[in-house]
Amino acid sequence: MISAGRGAPSPLPRFSRRAALGTMAGGALASVLAGCGSGGGGTRVSLHQSKPEAIPYFGDLLEQFNDEHRGSIHAVHDISANLSSGFARGNPPDLGCLNYNFEMLRFQERGALSDLSDLEAEANIAPEVRELVEHFPTYPGRTSVIPYSMMAAAVLYNEEIFAEHDLEIPTTYSGFIELCETLQEAGVDPVYSTYADAWTVSQGLIDYSVGGSIDVPAFMDELRDLGPEAGPDAPVSFSDTLREPLEKMLRIASFSQPGAAARNYGDGNVAFARGEAAMYLQGPWALTEIDRIDPGLPIGIFPLPMTEDPDDAGVRVHLDLALWIPEAASRPDEARELLRFLIRPEIADPYNQANLGFGVREDAPDVTDARLQDLQSYVDRAAFYQGISQALPGTIPFENYCQAIVTGQSLEAVLRTLDEDWARLARR
Amino acid sequence: MATTVERGAPPDAGTRDRPPPRKRSRRVDRTYHLFLVPVLILFSVCITLPAAMGIFYSFTDSIGFGEYEFVGLNNYLVLFSDPAILSVYGFTLGFALCTVVLVNVVALGLALGLTGRIRARVTLRTVFVLPMVVSGIIIAFVFQFVFSHTIPAAGQALGIGPLEESILADPDLAWISIVLVTAWQAMPQALLIYIAGLMTVPQDVYEAAGIDGASAWNRLRHITLPLISGFVLINVIIGFKDFLAAYEIILGLTDGGPGTATRSVTMAIFAGFEDGDYAYQMANSTVFFLITLAIALVQLRLTRGRTGG
Repeated sequence: MISAGRGAPSPLPRFSRRAALGTMAGGALASVLAGCGSGGGGTRVSLHQSKPEAIPYFGDLLEQFNDEHRGSIHAVHDISANLSSGFARGNPPDLGCLNYNFEMLRFQERGALSDLSDLEAEANIAPEVRELVEHFPTYPGRTSVIPYSMMAAAVLYNEEIFAEHDLEIPTTYSGFIELCETLQEAGVDPVYSTYADAWTVSQGLIDYSVGGSIDVPAFMDELRDLGPEAGPDAPVSFSDTLREPLEKMLRIASFSQPGAAARNYGDGNVAFARGEAAMYLQGPWALTEIDRIDPGLPIGIFPLPMTEDPDDAGVRVHLDLALWIPEAASRPDEARELLRFLIRPEIADPYNQANLGFGVREDAPDVTDARLQDLQSYVDRAAFYQGISQALPGTIPFENYCQAIVTGQSLEAVLRTLDEDWARLARR
Repeated sequence: MATTVERGAPPDAGTRDRPPPRKRSRRVDRTYHLFLVPVLILFSVCITLPAAMGIFYSFTDSIGFGEYEFVGLNNYLVLFSDPAILSVYGFTLGFALCTVVLVNVVALGLALGLTGRIRARVTLRTVFVLPMVVSGIIIAFVFQFVFSHTIPAAGQALGIGPLEESILADPDLAWISIVLVTAWQAMPQALLIYIAGLMTVPQDVYEAAGIDGASAWNRLRHITLPLISGFVLINVIIGFKDFLAAYEIILGLTDGGPGTATRSVTMAIFAGFEDGDYAYQMANSTVFFLITLAIALVQLRLTRGRTGG
């Protein structure tokens, strides 16, 4: 009857459970293998890191760390998918390196993570990245997490198709709509959408259109301040604030290829790689998948413009990896040593370059991937936001609601449900 | 081990005029207890204890770890007024009912065919039982592809309008795909039970009915069905209980969508673990447990002494 929650935090914010199933299987195998490789002496310290694509990379880093600390500290790689049960049993990992999402927040909010303020100075985190952490409920007086890698997502576009139709990157909402109309008249599907995987809807269409229109953290603060007074008719509500951005979103969604409701993430990567549509609202994680089909495809990235002022445009970011040490860690000192190792620029920078992430230090070098360089200037001047889908607790099935909106349910009704869910949660 | 100890008693013990068989008949052999103990311990530690803890936490505001406070029946009160919860129960019950009917009608029909004197009976039985050995999540992913690519493509090629759109993308029809796939996977088990059941019906009653000139339909209605009613009952109740806990097929086919159209109770419970809505979903689990328990009790009562057909 009791089964613990999923853990596999993945490259994507709130990745699907399907991915978690796969990760668990792979994780089980890899832990066995990892166990075989250990042999060095010293105090055992565990690093919990389960982003699937980065597991081999971190395996190598740990080897390097163990070589440097031979005889004193021995770090082991914990990649099991389940984190909650570790905390529940009072046996959490010594150091965590995970996606900063709602799963992490509850540990942070209740003070289960130790204070790292002294190490924060060493990490030299850029203030606007630091702020991303503070957009969520934190534990007063503590630095609970240290950002490690930031991912930026926007609109991927096929440069060949744009060149063929002599199109320029749109900088206003009306310009974007015009561009879509031009493509449609030319017989090209402007946008490839994959509604069958609900997270792709919330990550792309919904987060980009809301993040490009409103100040998400300010809105969430206002909602939280309402407490149990929240609801569809409260002075601040989803119904009121999100309605206009989402109506605009539906206009954009209408330029999707026919049959989008039955296409999933895998279909989207294949179709975009084959040039079946001009644009694809996905993050850098999709680039890796597209590369497997057509490594030479010229892809550019631009932020979705949602207003008529080009300066309003921003990119959707999330902290793909953040470091933390639980209060209940059995080896906090060794964990801090390992953390210090990981945040060294010569360790952190190559990681981010190799994994399509942006560095989080004030002096982090520019991203080297040619496609992501399009977004560097936005990251540099902090023209970014965290998706609204990241700001809602998973107990509200927001992704499903997003899917409902784009597959034909009444926007008004869904927003009302969202308000009622939020209010019910606030009253509990 | 117990018997060894008993037999290892001092030799003079055997000189008393006490025949060992009588002694055994009065007391249950300790060997039985020894067989029971490991299972009992496993069951208590792995199932009963966690379940009891879960019920305990359903009266708190715990998020799965750390400090918590008692909130009495609050979780339950909110639960019964939560439209999201009511809708997952509505979907799950409706889905389980439809599936149980479909599974049993098809399985009984097939069982009748496969116990008749037909050619390649054994081969056909194997073919029909195959879905049982494939894991649910794999079946779901395969059918997900069939429903979203193969069938719409076929619909387009043949010009069959209603098939051109994927059924999975239609909030009003997606549940049908889940019923079909679940039934496809669950049918073999019911089929095997029905075949076993049909084999218990003595041939002479059919012969007698044949002499009386009973039609095939009358033989089915008045002889076969009453004689295998115990098996029907088992299939219906076990099936219904299993379908209430549907999870991986829905996960693979629709992931609860489109929107929230096909979210099941188990999916709601699981979502609660993911994001620290632990105590609330524990209350949900408790309610769900009581529903399943009630069904199990009904089953026990109805099938007492009837399983023989």
